[in-house]
Amino acid sequence: MHPPSSTARRVLNGLSKHRLAFQRRANSTAVEPPPAGGHLPGVATSQLLRPTRDAALRTPGIKWKDEDNSTLGGRETRKMNTYQAVRDAMAIALAKDDTAVVFGEDVAFGGVFRCTMGLAEEFGKERVFNTPLTEQGIAGFGIGMASMGHTAIAEIQFADYIFPAFDQLVNEAAKIRYRSGNSFNVGKLTVRTPTMAVGHGGLYHSQSPEGFFMAGSGLKIVIPRSPIQAKGLLLGAIRDPNPVIFMEPKILYRSAVEQVPIDDFELPLGKAEVLVPGEDLTLVTWGTPVYHCETALHVLRSPSEELESLIPTSVRGAKVELIDLRSILPWDMETIVESVNRTGRLVIVHEAGAIGGVGSEIASEIQKRCFLKLNAPVRRVTGWDIPVGLTYEKFHIPDAIRVVDAIIETLTY
Amino acid sequence: MIRPASSLARRAATASSARRTLATTARRCENLPKSTSPIVSKLNFFNSVTGDGTQIPTYRVLDGSGKPLEGAEVPEIDEAFATRMYENMMLLPALDNVLYNVQRQGKISFYMTSYGEEATIIGSAAALDMEDEVLGQYREMGVLLWRGFGLDNVMAQCFGTSEDASSKGRQMPVHFGSPQHHFHTISSPLATQIPQAAGVGYALKRDPARRSKHIAACYFGEGAASEGDFHAGLLLASTIPSPTLFLARNNGFAISTPSTEQFFGDGIAARGPGYGIDTLRVDGNDVLAVLSAVRAARQRCLTQGRAVLVEAMTYRVGHHSTSDDSYAYRSRGEVEERKRVDDPSGRFRRFLEARGWWGEEREKEARERAKKGVMEAFRRAEGVGRGELGGLFEDVYEGEQPWNLVEQREELGRLLRKYGKAWGPWKNELGKFRGEGRDVMGGEGKSA
Repeated sequence: MHPPSSTARRVLNGLSKHRLAFQRRANSTAVEPPPAGGHLPGVATSQLLRPTRDAALRTPGIKWKDEDNSTLGGRETRKMNTYQAVRDAMAIALAKDDTAVVFGEDVAFGGVFRCTMGLAEEFGKERVFNTPLTEQGIAGFGIGMASMGHTAIAEIQFADYIFPAFDQLVNEAAKIRYRSGNSFNVGKLTVRTPTMAVGHGGLYHSQSPEGFFMAGSGLKIVIPRSPIQAKGLLLGAIRDPNPVIFMEPKILYRSAVEQVPIDDFELPLGKAEVLVPGEDLTLVTWGTPVYHCETALHVLRSPSEELESLIPTSVRGAKVELIDLRSILPWDMETIVESVNRTGRLVIVHEAGAIGGVGSEIASEIQKRCFLKLNAPVRRVTGWDIPVGLTYEKFHIPDAIRVVDAIIETLTY
Repeated sequence: MIRPASSLARRAATASSARRTLATTARRCENLPKSTSPIVSKLNFFNSVTGDGTQIPTYRVLDGSGKPLEGAEVPEIDEAFATRMYENMMLLPALDNVLYNVQRQGKISFYMTSYGEEATIIGSAAALDMEDEVLGQYREMGVLLWRGFGLDNVMAQCFGTSEDASSKGRQMPVHFGSPQHHFHTISSPLATQIPQAAGVGYALKRDPARRSKHIAACYFGEGAASEGDFHAGLLLASTIPSPTLFLARNNGFAISTPSTEQFFGDGIAARGPGYGIDTLRVDGNDVLAVLSAVRAARQRCLTQGRAVLVEAMTYRVGHHSTSDDSYAYRSRGEVEERKRVDDPSGRFRRFLEARGWWGEEREKEARERAKKGVMEAFRRAEGVGRGELGGLFEDVYEGEQPWNLVEQREELGRLLRKYGKAWGPWKNELGKFRGEGRDVMGGEGKSA
């Protein structure tokens, strides 16, 4: 690759003129709709986010990808929300790799979620461009570019609209290396797409389709929970030698804010992360529900006055191990098995429906591997097996109280 | 948009400037926002690309007897190039005859012939640069033959032997691929290669080493053009300008479905202008017309950096595949008649003979050579055998293998150790693999 241009270096240093303009725009409230807080109050007070430079730089598993070998002392962080972190990852990918392009519907003006703000101005319209409104076309186009060894970062505007591209992703992208005997591959393809509920998305702006792709052997599926995670995992996904579907929980675009290292770093694909250690029960989730689970643990420990009578004192001191799965395919079986073998109890939480959901896969594998260690049935807390009805969302999405209930039932089984 | 009259009046200070202003305004009113369409007062539906209701014409160079049409320009072609084209056109049916029969004998699982489309495939292959990236459907083996892929590689893929670099025995026969020959591996899902070709074209345009030198050439049948991916592909290559040549093989049938049930418009060519794509229809049984058309189309792709569509009109003489009996939906007489009146090889042969570039002797010699070469490759492939069984689990992912694949490979090994010699279906099959599955069985039976 060519050495980064001076502009690129500025981008990498987080000092570009554009970036300042971008921050101004991002900070302007005049044109911004109110944050889509919806059903997710927990994120505002989350202890899982890293509010300080020091905490950000000590993110577990962080792998610096620049030539700068200086100690952590020389590195900087900046407060970012998730969409800014996603944008930051793409800016780095574009600056360091001349073959990298970013495309999709409405990405040129910055994207409907602002994840590509200013990238077209910064890197040119040949590298950051709109496509016609065709998801199967976007996926196919990205496969074509990636098959030529170019880094293709495609965006599907909502995960709900990824299904027209299902054929290209599952029959083509996933199978090209295998079917060609490794003579062609599309490892440089990354498909980003906003996912999960947002408070008022109804049927087609709320879905969690990761389960549909779980049988797409040859693909990787990654879902981050926060800005640092989004940046590190996205850079890991872009550079992974396999096609990756990167699903960004859209409710976290604005609501999740933390200090994010401005340098180039990656977080590992295929690895879960233990967020809260514990020995009485394993709680596995990913994306938005991470915060529902965190809230649930808080409620369990110190229930409000209204809930006090409903939460037995016997469970309040339970030490629940909270795990963020992060990668859906391949998923980190070893970490979950190790945890469940210690705790003897497992609760899995996801927004998608139960039948055919990722939870079914995990539950059956854990049942097989931890049979003698299980003290209670594996419990799944999921969306109901119905579409996401607009006005019913609060009763559909598995929120903190449903997680609390599942924990109580599993602990007292 | 209509301006309010009062604002016009205010701006019209004098009679002459009023006239100017009104004229300007009138012109401005001729178009709607985001449109350059002129405004008319007459209600007029239309349903023709040519404007007068006639069909898009078909470009042809040679008549049925191999004579150039009056006014037709014979493409620049020398004896060596012309005879090479003809020999490749002959080689295709020679291969098809053997592999079709070999499938009938159960020696390979499947096959698809190119009968009747020799001119379309070889003519277009000859017009492309050897390094143009080709994305095909499945009936384009001739492109690989033209590029020197070789009969051994054809056989290796169809037999799924250890020498099959196209797919390591993983894909059905005729699913060829070769990066050295710039031929992207064929896959069964129809039309998926069409938007991919737009991406390949764009990548070529972005690559300083290949920009303005190479194009993406994408083949598909008229049936595949009904898929959504056709729409997506042409749309993408035109709006994100990419040097991508779309080559439609309109052979009249998609398995049993005649093209009259595939579309109601004027073929595939009529759609090109709708996407803003330069388009040409060519007689696909006239190899010189195809050569000229594709050469010109390729040049257009390179100079304009944009997509071009060529629809080659031909006829699928053979069955759709070895799993199809086409006489169930069309008469044998119709097929025989087409072969008689419009044989692409015969037509070109007569042209060559008229130039003194070909004759009975050369024909006989070339036929023998093609047949011999095919038979030799076939016999050789029969004796090669398959690669190691472990190929089953490889190349799903690059890098660290996921635990499930590692464990499943071990599980198959355990099952083979236990039942491999006792369970007939496995026992017979294992013998066909190099090492008889010991690479998967591991343990004491492990080969290397």
